[in-house]
Order: sequence, then C-alpha cells, then structure tokens
Amino acid sequence: MKNALGLVISREYLERVKRKSFIISTLLVPLFMVIIMVAPAVLMLMSEPENKVIAVIDDTGVVAPRLHGEGEVQFVNAGEPLDSARNNADYSAILVIGEKAIERPDANITLYSHGSLTLISSSYISGQISKAIEDVRLKAYNIENLRTIMEEVKVDMSLPVIDIDKSEDTATSAGLSYALALGTDMILYMFILIYGQMVMTSIIEEKSNRVLELVVSSVKPTQLMLGKILGIGLVAITQILIWGAVLAACSAWLVPFVANMPEAAEEAEIAAALSQLGDAGYMFSIFAWMIVFIIGGYLFYSSIFAAIGSAVDNIQDASQLTSVATMPIIIGVVASMSVINNPNSTLAFWLSMIPFTSPMTMMARLPFGVPVWETALSLILLYAFTLFMVWICAKIYRVGIFMYGKKPSVAEVIRWARYK
Amino acid sequence: MEHILTAEHITKDYSNHRALDDVSIAVPRGKVYGLLGPNGAGKTTLIRIINHITAPDGGVVTFNGHQLCADDVVNIGYLPEERGLYKKMKVGEQAIFFARLKGMSRREAEGALREWFDRLEISQWWNKKVEELSKGMAQKVQFIVTVLHKPSLLIFDEPFSGFDPINAGILKREILSLRDQGATVIFSTHNMASVEELCDDISLINRSRNILSGSVREIRERFATNQYSISFVGNPAPLVEKFAGRLQLGGLDNDGFATATVCLDSAADVRPFLGAANEAVAINSFKRELPSMDQIFVSAVEEYNRAADNAAQIVTEA
Repeated sequence: MKNALGLVISREYLERVKRKSFIISTLLVPLFMVIIMVAPAVLMLMSEPENKVIAVIDDTGVVAPRLHGEGEVQFVNAGEPLDSARNNADYSAILVIGEKAIERPDANITLYSHGSLTLISSSYISGQISKAIEDVRLKAYNIENLRTIMEEVKVDMSLPVIDIDKSEDTATSAGLSYALALGTDMILYMFILIYGQMVMTSIIEEKSNRVLELVVSSVKPTQLMLGKILGIGLVAITQILIWGAVLAACSAWLVPFVANMPEAAEEAEIAAALSQLGDAGYMFSIFAWMIVFIIGGYLFYSSIFAAIGSAVDNIQDASQLTSVATMPIIIGVVASMSVINNPNSTLAFWLSMIPFTSPMTMMARLPFGVPVWETALSLILLYAFTLFMVWICAKIYRVGIFMYGKKPSVAEVIRWARYK
Repeated sequence: MEHILTAEHITKDYSNHRALDDVSIAVPRGKVYGLLGPNGAGKTTLIRIINHITAPDGGVVTFNGHQLCADDVVNIGYLPEERGLYKKMKVGEQAIFFARLKGMSRREAEGALREWFDRLEISQWWNKKVEELSKGMAQKVQFIVTVLHKPSLLIFDEPFSGFDPINAGILKREILSLRDQGATVIFSTHNMASVEELCDDISLINRSRNILSGSVREIRERFATNQYSISFVGNPAPLVEKFAGRLQLGGLDNDGFATATVCLDSAADVRPFLGAANEAVAINSFKRELPSMDQIFVSAVEEYNRAADNAAQIVTEA
C-alpha cells in the first residue's frame, strides 16, 4: 500500500500542528526572544530620571572642582562635616575624599549612600573621580598639554577581516560568526533532542495505548516508523521556517535602523557585522546548511530514539537507553564549543566526519567558512550512515513493538537487529 | 474455492522458544472459524502471521488461492485482543484514518461510518476525543473500524472481553449478520459458550501445535460418551433397579422436574430404556448429552500435555 506512508505522515503532522501547545510555543518563543532583547532598553527609557545630589566633602581641595555632574548626577559642595550631612535629606549620597586621596584613592575615598546606587550612577561617579585624580597627577609632571598628547597617542583598534576565499571581498566579523555558530548549534541541539525524543514518546504512547496492533494490521511496521519520523520532522521544519521568517523580518527592520546610527559607522567591527548580516546570500547559505544538517542529524538520531521507544513499555524504562543515545549529542555540542574557537583544527575535521557529532560540529564551523569538499564529504557520510541507521533501527523497531512487559538491555536490543 | 485461507506447516521461532510448530489450519469460506487454546499457546502469533504482521519461519499461508501478500490486508479486518485508539484524536477523524489505511477514500469512509455510527447508536460521539469515551464505547468504535471496509476475512481476537452482556449480544448479532452477508470470520476466544453459539469449525492450539481440528458438531460427537439425560415426574425406583450401575439420579432442574443421567452403550439400548422409563415415570424430556466445548477443551489439552510430558520424561530417562 503506497499511500499508507503518506497517511501516517499526514496524521502525525496534522495532529501535532493543530495542537494548541505547538501554536503557542511557535509564536511565544520568538516573542519571548524579542522581549528579552527589547525589554532592557524599554525599561531604561521608561524609568524616570531621578536627580541624585551627591554632597562632596573634599579634604584635598583639588578633586572636588574637577567633578562634573551630568544628567541625573549632580555634585555639590557639602560645606558641613559628614555627621551633619548624613542627616540632610537633600543629599542622595555623600562622597568623602580623604587628604591622601591622590596617592592612594582606594583607601581614602568613600561614598555614603541612602540605599544602593544604580550601576550606571556609581560607574559614572567612579569614572569622574578617576578622571579628576588622573588630571591632578598629570598636572604634577608640569608638562604643557599633557592631556591632549595622551589623547593623541591612544590607539583604539578593531580589526576588519576580509575572507579571501570568497569571490567578493567582504568584511567578516569574527564576533558575528561566533554568535551565528553558537546560535545555530544550539538550535540544532534543541531540535534533535526535542523532536527526536518526541518520536520516542509517540512510539511509546502508541505501544501503551495498544493502538499499535490495530495500525500494524494495515501498515508495515517499517512504514509506520518512517511515517512517524518524517511527520514529526515536518513539524520541526515548519517551526524552523516560521522562526526563520520572523527572524528575517526582524533583521530587515533592525539592520538599517542600527546601520543609520552614527556610532555604528565608526566601529569597524560593527560595520563588518552589519555588512555580513546584510549579506543575504551569506545568511541564506548558513540557514540552508543549518536545515540540511538538522534534517540529517534529526533523521539519524530520531531513528535511534524510535528503536528505543519500540523496545520499552514506558518512559521510565527508556531512561537508561536514552542516555546512551543522548551522550554523543552532548559530546558533539561540548566539542563544538572548542571547535568554535579553532574551526580548522584536526579535531574539528574528524568530529565533522563522524555522523554522531558531525551536525553539531559542522554548524559550529560553517559560519567561519569551511572548504566545500569537507562540507560535502561530511554530508555524504552523515546521510549514508543515516540510511544505514534507519535500516537497523527499523529492524529493531519491528521486533521491539511486540515485546511487552520486559525491560530489555542494550545488548538484547542490538540482538533484535539481527533477527530475520 | 472451498477455503478462503489455508495455513500449511507454519513454524515460527522466537529467541528462546518455538511459538508455532508445524501448525496447519484450513478456514472454510463463509463460516465462523474458532481458534481456541490456552494462554500462550501461539494463537496470537498465528493471527499475526495471517495478518501479514510477522512472517513465518517456515510454511505457507494461502489467501483466496494465492500466497498471502501485503496487499491482502485490504481484504482482512482485524480486531486485536490488545486494542486501543489514539487518545487525543477525535472519534470520526480517527475512524476515517483507519478506513483510509485500508484503502477507502475519505468520502467512502465517511459515508459508511455515518451508517455504522447510526446503527450502533453512537453518532453523538463523532466529534468527541477518544479519551472522553468509556471503554465499551471505544470498543464499539474499534469494531466498526474493523468491519468498515467490508473485508472478506474478519479476525476477532477475544472480541467480547470488556463488553457488557447487552453490547456483547449486539456484537454477536453483528458478527453473525456479517457472516450471512458472505464474510468469513476467524474468532479467537477463551469463552467456550460463545464458541458453541457462533463457531462452525474450530482448531485447538496447544503448546505451539494444532491438536484438534474439525467442525464443532463433529468434534462434540467424537468426544461424546454415550451419556443421556432424562427429566421426569414420578417414582424412579423401578428404573433405578433395572439399570443399576448405569443410571444416576440428579437433582431437580430449573422447571422442577426430577433428573437422571444414564449411560447407554449403543443406540440399540435406547429403545428398551425408554420403554422401561415410560412405564415407571412420566417422561418430560430425553436427550443425548453432548460434551460441552468447555469439557472438550480441558480434556484435550490435559490429555495432550500428559502424553507430551510422559514422552519427554521417557526421553530424559533414556
């Protein structure tokens, strides 16, 4: 029956996509991410600027005149000793600068505050003090225009990198590549684990519901397993595409916005990141590779999860077997963290050839640029081994689904694969 | 073709035991065929092989004159003993899914389903989720799913378990009416009363082997022990005297008649006995006692096991 596979796929797909939990998680995750990114800025804009009057008691006599208030922070001369200033409700804080403050600022400067200051205010205050003391110390050298000379000597460098493997010379940003590698790797890990385990739970459910026998009287077990894997896989792809579209829409709106900010143009790193982000071809290729590797990794691992699901009667019994299957995924992700720092190492190469770890490792490397033959070889190995894995797991599945009431060992499950 | 399905010399091995050992059955077309046997005898394995769910290690299954193949499942309806439905799916959608798996189109399936749902008075369940249904209701849905595509061979594994007597009655009625419409039914059960009621032929599977096959009537005849029963009004003393040793008095039956059983060697003994009885008492009924399927089941299985165990012992001792 040729359309049985199609029917199983469409049932698995529609049942899941129509579920409230799918719709909610698909919509909420991007919303949540946007909130996390936007919330701090919004909160900052919304918070009322509160004037903070800092009373200064300066025993050196040279620091206080060099302190300049800005925005919400205002410096005033206390003109009274600390004890009486403490009780003055007009002051948010009292800054006491001791006599030896120029020589040893840490031991001689103290801020007395009602409650704790915000991070921004306190860093502003300490910045002002450092600057003032630097100024006093520079003055001591008696060199004219020393401050201006210092400013001129100072170097602020961010290195633009041009990828010479590309046909066009475009600046790449190591930071953005790093973020992309990390991000896609996490997405890959999440999808393989979440959707792979979903295949397993769905099979266990079918088994414990006893609906299985009714289904296999019309569908071959292998078709049922494949239908499940493909149906759930399509759900994953649907979710990724929705998120991808949301992300693309957001960046289409955000990139020009950031690019127009005057600060952005000056920083070479940001400029490079922006041009890389704006490079639709590059972003699309990363996204496409991610999908290709997610599909391969998902098929590979979900067939293992399917075999595990068929072998046990309930989720509790599955834990021992799942830990065997999850281990290589976790190893792949952990190794990727080191691969990101050194994308062209020998370790990176071999991990990208082993199908157990190649999806994770390759995603960590691809944003930095990988020779085409390596990517191709990695993909061929992954998909070839996936076919083999699906075949083996289908054999285990066929035997496993009819086994009720005993908890099989790993060795026993492997033996099932050898049955005729 | 006289037989819709034959299984010849079927053997199936699992890792540590042989589930079926040279089992052969032949299911006549248009009959109800009982597959009996103790738990773990191998019935479900045989049914799975007939359903093309698992393959036998040896032997051939012939369906409608050709070797059983994957496409034949369209012509088979199977109600497994372990049965369930997808809990989160709506009843109607789910029934359509199963019908389409059996090769029906969505429209065909929906039409036929509405008819069956009306007939079994469960139309109001169409849009409910299965998890909201009682067990009996779910069983009705499963039954409909099994028969909906009008298969020529129906296989029911313990169909009455979980049904109350009213619904079991409805199910029996439907099974017989399907047979009358030309379907062949294979029926596996432990309930021997329903075997006598429904089955035309049976096979008794025990310890992976087919130990008894034939028509129910013929088998009961074969196991008959020349027992006759009589119910009557009056004093049986002269009769007891005349047939001492062969006649045994029983209690009163449901209608208040006295009862007795008598062992008569041959049909030739029946006339003289009836003559004597007629003189002594007023006879209400007289009939030959056929053994129940229950008795046959127990004695056949026990006898086989005893013989097999003895043989095994002899082998070990030798």
